[in-house]
Amino acid sequence: MENTVERTVTLGSKSGLHARPAAVFVQHAKGFHSQITLTKEERTANGKSILSVLALGAEHGDQVVLKVSGSDAENALNKLTRLLEGDLG
Amino acid sequence: MAYIDVLAPLDGTVVDLESVPDEVFAQKMAGDGVAIDPSGQVAVSPVAGQLVKLFKGGHAFGIALNDGVEVIVHLGLDTIELEGKGFEKIAVEGQFVQPGDPIVRFDRATIEAAGKVILSPVVSSGEGTIIRRAGGVVKAGSDVLFTLEI
Repeated sequence: MENTVERTVTLGSKSGLHARPAAVFVQHAKGFHSQITLTKEERTANGKSILSVLALGAEHGDQVVLKVSGSDAENALNKLTRLLEGDLG
Repeated sequence: MAYIDVLAPLDGTVVDLESVPDEVFAQKMAGDGVAIDPSGQVAVSPVAGQLVKLFKGGHAFGIALNDGVEVIVHLGLDTIELEGKGFEKIAVEGQFVQPGDPIVRFDRATIEAAGKVILSPVVSSGEGTIIRRAGGVVKAGSDVLFTLEI
């Protein structure tokens, strides 16, 4: 069943979404069937591409919109929200 | 099948990615590749593409090519914490680069004095499989570090 869900998340990672947290996030994102995007202001990144996520330049405390579309959307949204709000390193 | 040669972005000695003391790189979460123990002071672009990301502190950068190919060069481990100390940006984020174009100047002594390891992972974080990789000593902007098959 196709499903699109989104949530505004505040980044918990202390140095923002730099190489290590971006890699961890993307690795989890790739485990879902759904399409995943992250939007900061007007810029949208493909949640399954590390470079795309890095180019977003999301810093600690920034609000990003996590949008998930697909059969496992709810599950992905919850899991990825927890990751982004926590300290991914 | 297309092949892309990724040149060494640094002068130095090639080290297996698996032996890097940072599990995100060692377990290839950021992608497959190698690491370099650098002997020089300048990191150059390893490929032709767009410098999509150059970290504010200059400690890491990423270049995007066509077809979803991405290369990330990370100077040292946990070096984001240095907030630029020991690094000097030369290139500008967003610019198009050629292999060998200088991106960042860095000082190993300053970085190590601040307690950081300078071992530098170079990974393919996007499309493609590494079919061949260098070993031993490499020269920045001239030796092939690894070859991607797309």
